[in-house]
Amino acid sequence: MFRNYLKIAWRNLWKSRLLTAVNILGLAVAFTASILLVLTAAREFSFDQFHDHKQQLQQLYISVHHVQGTEERSNLPMPLTPALKQEFPEVKAASRFMDASGMVRYRDKMYGSDVMGVDPDFLRMFSFPLLSGEKQQPLRSLSNVVITERMARKIFGSAEPVGQSLEMYLEGRWKTFIVSAVAEDVPDNSSLEFDMLCRFEHVPAYADQKDAWNSSTHEVFVQLSDQATAAAFERRAKTFVNKYFAEGIRNLQRDGAVPGKDGALIGLHLMPLTDIHFNSISSSGGAISRFYPYMLLLIGIFILFIACVNFMNLTIAGAFSRSREIGMRKILGAFRGQVIMQLWGEAVLVCGLALLAGMAMAYFLLPGYNALFSNRLSLNLLRQPWLLPGLFLVFVLVTLVAGGYPALMIARLNTIKVLKGSLLTGRSNRVRNVLIVTQFVISSLLICCTLIAWQQLNYLRKKPLGYSKEQVISIPVPYNVDAELALTRMRNQLSGHAGILAVTGTDINMGRGRDGSSATSIVSFDYKGREVRSHWLRVDYDYVGAMGLQLVAGRDFSRAYGTDSSALLINEKMAAQLGGMEAALGALLPVEDSAHPQQVIGIVKDFNFKSLKEEIGPLTLNINKEWPLQYIFVKVAAGNLPGYMNLVKQQWQALYPGSSTDPSFLDENTDRQYRREQRFSGIFISAAVLAIIISCMGLFAISVLIMTRRTREVGVRKVLGASVAGIVTLLSKDFVKLVLLSVMIASPVAWYIMEQWLQHYAYRIPVNIGVFLLAGAIALLVAVITVSIQSVRAALMNPVKSIRTE
Amino acid sequence: MIQLKHISKHYPVGFGKNAVLDDIDLTIHAGEFVSIMGPSGSGKSTLLHILGLLEEPSGGEYLFEGEPVHKMSEKKRTQLHRGSIGFVFQAYHLIDELTVYENIETPLLYKNVPSSERKSRVADVLDRFNIVAKKDLFPNQLSGGQQQLVGIARAIVAEPRVIFADEPTGNLHSDQARVIMQLFKHLNETDKITIVQVTHSEQNAAFGHRVIEIRDGKIR
Ligand SMILES: Nc1ncnc2c1ncn2[C@@H]1O[C@H](COP(=O)(O)OP(=O)(O)O)[C@@H](O)[C@H]1O
Ligand SMILES: [Mg+2]
Repeated sequence: MFRNYLKIAWRNLWKSRLLTAVNILGLAVAFTASILLVLTAAREFSFDQFHDHKQQLQQLYISVHHVQGTEERSNLPMPLTPALKQEFPEVKAASRFMDASGMVRYRDKMYGSDVMGVDPDFLRMFSFPLLSGEKQQPLRSLSNVVITERMARKIFGSAEPVGQSLEMYLEGRWKTFIVSAVAEDVPDNSSLEFDMLCRFEHVPAYADQKDAWNSSTHEVFVQLSDQATAAAFERRAKTFVNKYFAEGIRNLQRDGAVPGKDGALIGLHLMPLTDIHFNSISSSGGAISRFYPYMLLLIGIFILFIACVNFMNLTIAGAFSRSREIGMRKILGAFRGQVIMQLWGEAVLVCGLALLAGMAMAYFLLPGYNALFSNRLSLNLLRQPWLLPGLFLVFVLVTLVAGGYPALMIARLNTIKVLKGSLLTGRSNRVRNVLIVTQFVISSLLICCTLIAWQQLNYLRKKPLGYSKEQVISIPVPYNVDAELALTRMRNQLSGHAGILAVTGTDINMGRGRDGSSATSIVSFDYKGREVRSHWLRVDYDYVGAMGLQLVAGRDFSRAYGTDSSALLINEKMAAQLGGMEAALGALLPVEDSAHPQQVIGIVKDFNFKSLKEEIGPLTLNINKEWPLQYIFVKVAAGNLPGYMNLVKQQWQALYPGSSTDPSFLDENTDRQYRREQRFSGIFISAAVLAIIISCMGLFAISVLIMTRRTREVGVRKVLGASVAGIVTLLSKDFVKLVLLSVMIASPVAWYIMEQWLQHYAYRIPVNIGVFLLAGAIALLVAVITVSIQSVRAALMNPVKSIRTE
Repeated sequence: MIQLKHISKHYPVGFGKNAVLDDIDLTIHAGEFVSIMGPSGSGKSTLLHILGLLEEPSGGEYLFEGEPVHKMSEKKRTQLHRGSIGFVFQAYHLIDELTVYENIETPLLYKNVPSSERKSRVADVLDRFNIVAKKDLFPNQLSGGQQQLVGIARAIVAEPRVIFADEPTGNLHSDQARVIMQLFKHLNETDKITIVQVTHSEQNAAFGHRVIEIRDGKIR
C-alpha cells in the first residue's frame, strides 16, 4: 500500500513538475530563511546559558531613587562584596569583575589583552573550564594569572604557558605575574569576556577605594545556595543597605526623594545571569531588547506560513485533477482516513524534500550570512535542547497546515459529483483568495515596517547633532601612553601641517569607537540645598572650536587665564537646572567639595553628545587634569579626509613607534551607535524581500493553473476579436484586486506597530502616508508582473490551437 | 440480495426540488443479470448509485443482503465496497497515474490481501482478460475497449458478489461492446456474480435475464 502511495505521489509530482518545483523551491527557501532566522534568535537566547550553575548565578545591581528620577546601575563599591559574603550565608560565592589592564608584555613584546580582575570564587562560580595548570585554586596567589588558550598561543606560541612569567601594565607600572592555568576560550555567547584573569586586588585605585562606599567602579556576581531565592535575598538586603549606605540615604531624604515601590530609597537587587544579555542595567550585558530575537522568530514563522499558503493553494488548485483518483479510491474501498493519510503523506514527502534542501542551503549560506550581517552563528547552536525538537514540531506543523487542509478538503468531496465532473469550484476559490490576501498582508506588512525602520535609521544618521562629526578624527590613547604628554606632542607635531585646524583631548568618545566602547560619567553634588546631577566630560583647550560647538554665553576655556583648570563650561540643559542662563553664568559649583567650588565661565548650545535614542541631558565640561584624557581629537579641513587620516596615523607612529591605536572619524563612531539596528534592519529587509518573492512564486503557480484552465475561454475571446491587452487585463484584474485589498489591510497594522517601535527613540520621524503608497506600489507591481507573464502568454497563444486541444 | 421499498430521490433546485426517482419498489436476487433501460435523464444512474451505496435515497427503505442500508455506518459501507460491490463506469475512471497492473491491484491493497496472493490474483485476472502484455502500460496508452476491460478486471479482482455497471459500453464500438457483454455473461454464469447494468442497447440488454424499464423516475 505504502509503495502504491509513494508511486502515485512520485508520478503526480513528476507530472506537474513546474508546480512541484515552485512548491519545493518556495518551501526550501522558506526553511532556509527560517533556519537562519531561528539560529540568529537562538544565539541571542543562548547567551550565558552554558554555565552549569546558571540557575543560581545572579548579578547584583543597585537602584537609587534620586529627586530627578530613578537610577539603576550594576556598578558597585569595592567593600560591598566582602561585606556581602560576611553577612549573607546564602551567598555561596561572589566575585567582583573589573578591567585590570589592557596591555601585557612578554620578552619585550607588547600585546593588547583584556585582563579582568576577579575574586578567587570567579572560576568556581562560572563554567570557564581550565585545561591545564593549577585547576583547584589558580588564583590563590596574588601574582597568578589565568590565561585563555587563544591568548596563550598568541603570546607564547607553542611553548607551554603554565609557569611562564609575563608583565602587566598596571597604573603606570609593569608588574610581573606567573601563569598558573590555561582556560578554554570564552564562548562567543558569553556576556563576560576576558583574555586573562588576575586577582581583583590589582584593579586601578584598589588601594584607595577598597573601603570606599561612595565610589562605584565594578560589577558583582554572586552564586546563591541551591535553596535560596532572589526575592528572599532582596528582602534581607534591606537591612544591609540601611547599614552600609546610611549616608546616601540621609542625603536623598534631605532632598525629598520619593522612595520606590518597596519603600526604600536605595535598594540592592539581583538579576539572573541569563537575563543580563537583554538588560541595559548590567554593564556587561548586551542591552538587546528581547523584541528583536522574538521579531526574528516571528518573521521566520511568517515566511514559513507564506510558503505553506503557496503549498495549500497549489494543492487545492491541483485537487481537481486529483479528485477523480480520490473518488475512485473511495469507491474501491478506501476509508476517508486512508485517503487523508495518503494526501498528507504526499505533503510530508514534498515538505521533507524541501526541508532537506533548506537545511543544505542554510548550511552553505551560513558563512555568507554571517559575513553579511556581522553575525557569529554556528551550527553548534543546534545543540540547544529545544531547537531540534522545535524544528521537528514546526516541520510536522507545516505538513499539517500545508497538506492537512487540502487533504481534508479533497477527502470530503462528494464522490459521485467528482466522477460526474460537476464539482462546485466557488468555495475553494474563496479559500484561495483568503489565503492569497493573508500572504500579501504579511508581505506588505514587512515591506511597510522595513521601509519605516530604514527611514528612521537614515534620519538618525543624517540628523545634525550640534557638533561637527565629519571632520573630527578621534584617536584612542593606549593604556601605556601618558595621555597629557601625548596631547602636547601631537599638538606640536601636527601644528605645522596645512589642513589641521585644531587638536584637543577628552575622556569620553563621541558615539562608539572601533573598540565598540562607550562610556558615561555622571557627577552629582549639592547646590543651594538641592542635588544637581550632570554628565561630566573632561575636555581640553580648543574642544569647543574643534567640535564646532556654539557658545551662547560667557567664554571658552582659554590659556590666557591661569585659573581655568577649575573653570566649567555647561550646556543649556545644565543652565536650566541651575536656575536659568543668568543665574548659571558665573555660578560657583561645589562639584568635589564646598571648599573648592568651580566657576561656570560659559554656556554652550545643547548638542547630542549621546545617541539619539536619548534626550539631551545636563552636561558639564572641565579641563581638570585629575580626570585623565582617553582620546585625542583632531579637527581637519574639509576635502581630503583619508589623506588627513593617514597623516594623523603617521605622526602617531612617529611619536610612539610600535604602539598601536585605531583612529576613526566621529561620524563613523556615531553610525556605530546604531549598528545593532542596522544589523537587524538588514535582516528584516532581506526577510521582507524573501516574503514578497515567495508570495509571488505562489501567485505565479496559481496563475499558471488558472490560465491552463481558461485557455479555451481565451481562445474563444480572441476569435471574437479581443485584444491582447484586453485579455491580460481580464486575467490579471482579480489578483490585482486581492493585492490591493491586502495592502489596505496591512497599512494600518504596520502604522500601529511602527508607531510603537518609534517610541524607543527620543528623536524620530513621523510615519507618513507615502510609505504605505510606496509599499502598495511595490507589492502591486511585483504581483502584476508575475501574473502578467502568464496572462500575456495565454493571450498570445494561437486561438485555434487552444480551442482544438481542449 | 437487493430489496428497494418505496425508494424516492430528489435534488434541491433553486427553492423547490427536482424529483428524480419516485416510489421505486425493486427486488434483485443473487445470481441475477439485470439490465436497466430508459431514456436519458430518467434516473438510471441515480438508481444505480443508490444501489451501489454511493448516494442516499431521500425516502424509502433499502435492504442490501437483508441489512437496512440507512443504518449502516460509513465504515460498514466502505467494507462492502471493499468486498461485496464492484463498479464499472462508462468513462472507465481508471487512475491515470497507475499502470494497468497497479490499477487492478489497488482494491486488493485496500482489502489487505497479502502480497503473494495479490500477485497471483492480479496475474489470474490479467490472464483471463488477455491483457498480460499490457500490464505495464498506463491507461492513456490503451484503447477505450482495453481500458474498459481493465475497469472490469479491477471491479472483479476482489471477488465481489455484485457488479454495478453504468453504461459500460457507452463509449465503445459494437464489437468491443459484445466482448464486454460476453464477459459479463460469463462472470454471471461461472462465477455466480450478480450483475446490474445500465444500457441503451436492446442487444446488450438481451445478454441479461431481465430488463427494468425506467421512465420519469418510475419503473414501468
Ligand atoms: N447532483 C444533482 N443535482 C441535481 N440534479 C441532478 C443531480 N444528479 C442528477 N440530477 C438530475 O437527475 C436526473 C436524472 O439523472 P441521471 O440519473 O443521471 O439520469 P440518466 O442516468 O438516466 O441519464 C437528471 O434530470 C439530472 O439533471
Ligand atoms: Mg446516466
